[in-house]
Amino acid sequence: MKLGPVVLLAVLIPLALRAARPQQTAPYTYQGTIQAVQLKAGSLDLITGVGMALRLVHVQTTSGTHIANGSAPLALGDLKPGTVIRAECHPSDQGPVADRIEKVAMP
Amino acid sequence: MSRSPVVALLVATVSTNHCNKPVDAGDPLRGLSREEQDRFRRGRVVFDSVFTPETGLGPLFNAVACGECHEDPAAGGSGDEVEVHATAFRAGAACDPLAGEGGPVIQLNVTPALKAALGIDSEPFPRDATGRGMRTSLAIFGRGLLDAVPDAAILGYADPADRDHDGIRGRPNRFVDGRIGRFGRKAFVPTLDEFNAGAFVAEMGVTDPAQPIEETIGGAPIPPGVDPVADPEINQEQVDLTNDFVRFLAPPSPAPLTNEGRQGRELFSRIGCAGCHIPTLRTGDSPTPALARKTFFAYTDLLLHDMGADRADICLGLATPSDFRTEPLIGLRFAKRFLHDGAATTLEQAIKLHGGEATGARDRFNGLAGAGQAALIAFLKSL
Repeated sequence: MKLGPVVLLAVLIPLALRAARPQQTAPYTYQGTIQAVQLKAGSLDLITGVGMALRLVHVQTTSGTHIANGSAPLALGDLKPGTVIRAECHPSDQGPVADRIEKVAMP
Repeated sequence: MSRSPVVALLVATVSTNHCNKPVDAGDPLRGLSREEQDRFRRGRVVFDSVFTPETGLGPLFNAVACGECHEDPAAGGSGDEVEVHATAFRAGAACDPLAGEGGPVIQLNVTPALKAALGIDSEPFPRDATGRGMRTSLAIFGRGLLDAVPDAAILGYADPADRDHDGIRGRPNRFVDGRIGRFGRKAFVPTLDEFNAGAFVAEMGVTDPAQPIEETIGGAPIPPGVDPVADPEINQEQVDLTNDFVRFLAPPSPAPLTNEGRQGRELFSRIGCAGCHIPTLRTGDSPTPALARKTFFAYTDLLLHDMGADRADICLGLATPSDFRTEPLIGLRFAKRFLHDGAATTLEQAIKLHGGEATGARDRFNGLAGAGQAALIAFLKSL
């Protein structure tokens, strides 16, 4: 009866692979460089990535998004292209929405 | 930064291996544990694995295997491939890597399925690009040692304001998240593992757990059905093994120096090459004893330097189009083309094409008598 382990693996491997995929519904923190800020739309484009595989992430803000530089609060308009930020986001149908954005201090 | 010519003294003290047998190109570091040696061997198998569309290749790619571009004279060596990078540089603005248009790596090949869907043979060159960078495939020997050099050591060589008035203004680049970079021709990527993880995606179109998202086709989504393999297309164990293979690749032992080579080594320091191509670096702590607190021949400061307008191509991070990382000269004798774009086919040409902060050293090389120039080249050919 060698089929038993094979059947078990056939069930478990897809489950394991699914578990390994990124959870699109989970909160996610992006750290990257601002490429552009759209003040009217209340959003920004962030360059993130790994090595030379870079990606552009469009992050939406809301009136509840807390933006800060250390303990000093900032407005979206204070963020400029080239600034490095950490954005704690939750997912939405339109993409990531920032709950908190912090300017990253350069060592 | 002025440095005394201590290279000759260091030759007697720098240890790259634990026995007298020279380390050949493609050999692992000496002093690896049995388990690390096993991971090196298994990692080489992944490194040399040929990907197909059915195993994750593409739909955009430059090569079908790590070993396709890093093969000469052994796995981890150089290749004859030249790839294309593109970014947008606008004075007064941050460098745009054109990530939304498929940059900065512009893949030169597509899978049959993508060609059938879009009728293209390569990724479209970004319309907003202001520069095109040609990049040769480097040997990657000794990169684990470079990875283990502390950031503080790199920053210690920086002199962006040229406080010592030697005309050399080394400065670190930073990745998009702000960390100090060291890998790639623009010193953009902070760690070896990240460079490798990014290379699976950017060079082969093989997504991995660190970057599970395929890039767009010049900004447009991949057509349905073109890339049916589920992301990530390789697992973390495969990435980890590849990382260990690359990390454990030893720097080849320099060839024995002739009298001429010894004279060239002294000239290398005296005319100022060693101002940027710092002969030795020292690693910090590492979980791998073979990488921990080792002094090794690197011939780099891992910093950006202005190389002059003639060699300028693209920006990346804080690097302007004319800024390039000091190239490590590890395994230089195996290289067949030189400089980031392969513009030089001889070491003499490569030196003469140095500009910017290297102008002084280049001019002093040009001012050497023929025998002096030959001695310096003999030294470089020993590395």
